[in-house]
Amino acid sequence: MKRDARSSKKKKKFTKFRERRCRFLRLKVDFVDWKDVGTLQRLCTGQGKVIGRKRSGTSAKFQRMVRIAIKRARFMGLMPYIGT
Amino acid sequence: MYPYEGMFLVDPTAHAADPAAVEGSVRALLEKHGAKIQQLEVWDERKLAYEIQGQSRGVYLLGYFEMPGSGVDPMRREIKIKEEIYRELIIRLETDIPTHLERSAKYEEKMKQDADTRRDRPDRGDRGDRGDRGDRGDRGDRGDRGRRGREDGDRGASAPVTEATNTEAAS
Repeated sequence: MKRDARSSKKKKKFTKFRERRCRFLRLKVDFVDWKDVGTLQRLCTGQGKVIGRKRSGTSAKFQRMVRIAIKRARFMGLMPYIGT
Repeated sequence: MYPYEGMFLVDPTAHAADPAAVEGSVRALLEKHGAKIQQLEVWDERKLAYEIQGQSRGVYLLGYFEMPGSGVDPMRREIKIKEEIYRELIIRLETDIPTHLERSAKYEEKMKQDADTRRDRPDRGDRGDRGDRGDRGDRGDRGDRGRRGREDGDRGASAPVTEATNTEAAS
């Protein structure tokens, strides 16, 4: 009995609301705009490398879109292939 | 006929000299290949992330149009020949144009909101001087420190003693 009570308490702690790690899920947008250089820049290092999911917290679905968006922005000269 | 989003990077000097002519040539090109233009305007004039055609600045035209898929490739080929258009990016949209524009507007708004909330927070400023903490007062008598070393046997007690005498001898 005592044990049961403890485990349920633990569960409660886990179901507590936690803010979304993925900025795109948090903002409830439908896609990632390749023209939005400001946001994409935040997902790149100063050198112009794409920041991984582990560091940025972006969900898998949106990371795929981010990847494509960055490549498009690079092609159009909006973002660098290699930064400083 | 499919919905497309197209961006064209054009020569900034040519555009500055005669914007209507450059926009007109892009428009004519699109229409020549069977596009029904819904929107075509200057998106931005900005510094390029890297030099393209020896230029460090560029004018971007952004357009939304419907055209048959068979027209896209010939159009791309023709754009490559044109000197005033440096780059083109034509993307087939997954939704129709009104829906896409609606979503874009929503996207922009959300991103702006996000940036605003972040701007309100970041710099919490200097915490400032903490001020004088005042006199801490007398610490009082520290009391008896008790015996040194282990209580059983005098091995521990004797060792530091010899060390102390050694250092004394050295100095």
